[in-house]
Amino acid sequence: MSLTHLNARGEAHMVDVGDKAETQREAVASGRIIMRPETLALLAEGGLPKGDVLATARIAGIQAAKRTHELIPLCHALLLSKVSVDFRLDEAASCVHVESRCRLAGRTGVEMEALTAVSVACLTLYDMCKAVDKDMTIEGVRLEHKTGGKSGEWHRASADVSTTRDASEPPSVDSAAIRVKFLAELRERLDIEEIEVPVAALKSPDVASLKAALEAQDSRFSALSAARILCAVNHAMANEETSLSEGDEVAFFPPVTGG
Amino acid sequence: MIDVRVQSPVFDVGEEQRQLLAGRRDIGAVVTFTGLVRDFNERPDVQALSLEHYPGMTEAALRDIAEQATARWPLDGIRVVHRVGRLSPSDPIVMVMVASAHRRVAFDACDFLMDYLKTRAPFWKKEHTASGTYWVSARDSDARDAARWEEA
Repeated sequence: MSLTHLNARGEAHMVDVGDKAETQREAVASGRIIMRPETLALLAEGGLPKGDVLATARIAGIQAAKRTHELIPLCHALLLSKVSVDFRLDEAASCVHVESRCRLAGRTGVEMEALTAVSVACLTLYDMCKAVDKDMTIEGVRLEHKTGGKSGEWHRASADVSTTRDASEPPSVDSAAIRVKFLAELRERLDIEEIEVPVAALKSPDVASLKAALEAQDSRFSALSAARILCAVNHAMANEETSLSEGDEVAFFPPVTGG
Repeated sequence: MIDVRVQSPVFDVGEEQRQLLAGRRDIGAVVTFTGLVRDFNERPDVQALSLEHYPGMTEAALRDIAEQATARWPLDGIRVVHRVGRLSPSDPIVMVMVASAHRRVAFDACDFLMDYLKTRAPFWKKEHTASGTYWVSARDSDARDAARWEEA
């Protein structure tokens, strides 16, 4: 496999696409910007000082896709037939998911356009929200799939897991996750309803390690170690030693008060 | 034999009993407990109650508790209905109905079912009062009541 943007002498050059066949091409890219729950709430209710954040970020992403060739040196200028930028507010992960879809009938792929749209939409979200939150992190910007052209269809291999992982850890091929729910008073206190934790992030596959992994990720999860907090795995009461495997549903909750 | 439900609409105790007894001639006793929303609890002036459950686990827990009761006593039928959502003082919250050939068994089983439901079934209450909203705390007395059945 060679890098098409380098010529025989190893110099950067623009690939001649004149003799490539025109095909319908599409690329989808995604990314996310993680913010504080309060910032997300303000964004959701339109309470941020710069106004309608999502509408602005959407236009920014679309404009950026159209100007990708001005930003990325060896990209061709393309006549895109469609650019969309969509947002999904995720309270559980306290982030905004951004997805862009670019399409054209042409001789070159549109993945750079989709990636640029996501990047600039995320940057615009940062700009619109930075007055109230400077800790925001943009991450996970990546191509999800592309279709058309000589290389045919390409899809990202494994499902995404929203949990953050240390950069020092090797990327795991197996991103199977455990779904963790927080109920009632605990959900309100932690300000989170649900989170996914990759099995690979656990030292050993049990509840005690799950608590440790969550606490390592965010200190507020130390609340799970309080003696009064109960735990269920797949709807059955569990304890620290209960073993876990991919696809399990774990719930943490306070003592019950029904009847 | 065992019928457990979690629902937001109000239930009708008379209708529940008719369904429990339909076609039966061997039942000699039906004991029903109905729990209602009080206007005073941890604080006075309770204006409303929000009940939350854990869909899936709550139904399984209620069924498990009912099965434990049938293992302990010779019962002919159990119906448990627990409401969720927002309720007002005087609204019925929970109903436990037990049928048996004789009254003592039905009284005991109903008492057991409520003690276990209160301490083992995943429901949580939030009270809305004149002085604010708070999650209701678990009571030690409920745990002591449930522990009675472990010695027997």
